Amino acid sequence: MPITFLLVLHGIFSVFLLGAVTHQFLSVFWPRKPGQSDFVARARGVNPGGYVQAIIILYVIEFVLGAILYPTYRVLARPPLQDLQLTYVIGLFEVKENFAAIVLAMLPSYWYFWKRYPDYKMTRAALTAILFATVWYDMIAGHLVNNARGLL
Amino acid sequence: MDKIASRAFPAFAIGFAAYYAPAYSFTGATSAFTWPLFTYFPEINEWRWGLVAGNDTIGPPMWWYGWIASAALVGLVCAIIASLLPERATEKLWASSIWIVPIAAFAFLWNWERVWFGL
Repeated sequence: MPITFLLVLHGIFSVFLLGAVTHQFLSVFWPRKPGQSDFVARARGVNPGGYVQAIIILYVIEFVLGAILYPTYRVLARPPLQDLQLTYVIGLFEVKENFAAIVLAMLPSYWYFWKRYPDYKMTRAALTAILFATVWYDMIAGHLVNNARGLL
Repeated sequence: MDKIASRAFPAFAIGFAAYYAPAYSFTGATSAFTWPLFTYFPEINEWRWGLVAGNDTIGPPMWWYGWIASAALVGLVCAIIASLLPERATEKLWASSIWIVPIAAFAFLWNWERVWFGL
C-alpha cells in the first residue's frame, strides 16, 4: 500500500513538474509575440524566471520519491523483465536513472544562471533545454516501464 | 556568496557528471576500481561500503546510490578547487562547460547503454 501511494504521488508530482518545465521551455524557445492571445500563446507567454524555484523543488521531490521506489523496482519488477529478456525496458529505466542523477547535480547552477547571473542567455536556454528533455524522457520512460511491469 | 557560486556550482555539476558517467559504465561485479562509495542490498535492507557483488543469499546489489555519493564527493572537490581559481578569467569557461560536459556525459552513457536496446 505505501508503495502504491508513493508511486501515485510520484506520478502526480511529475505532472506538476512537466507543466512547469514545459511552460519555461516554451517561453524561452518559442516566446509569445505581441497580439497573440490563443491558448498555446498564453502557455508560451509566461515569465520563465518565475518557474525556477518551483522546478527545483518539484525536481528534488520527484528524485527523492524515485529513489525511495527504486529498491522495489529492483527486487520486484526488474527480475521478471530479465527473465522475459525485455532488456529494452530495463534500458529505458537505466537511462532514466542516469540522466536524472546528472541533472540533479546541475540544479544549483540552473538556479544560479537563472536567478543571479543574467548575462549568459545561451547557458540559461541550454540548461532549460536539458531539464526539459530529461523530465519528459523520465516521465515517458517511467510510464512505459511501469506498464511493462508495475511495482505491485 | 555569488562570486564563489559562479565557479563552485558549475564545477560541482561538471565533476559529478565526469565521474558518474564512467562510474556507471565501468562498474561490474569484478571491477578493479570501487566506483560506488557503497552498495545497497534491497532484499536484506543492508548497506555495505564500496563495491560489493550480489549473490543468491543477499540478493541483487544496487550501486546507484553509491555512484551518486561518490560523484557528489568528486563534485565537491571540484567545487572547492574551482572556488580558488580567478573569477573573471574562468567566467566563460563555466558558463559553457556547465551544459557541454553534462551533454557529453549523456552521450557517453547513451553509447554504453545502447546494448540494452540491441543497438
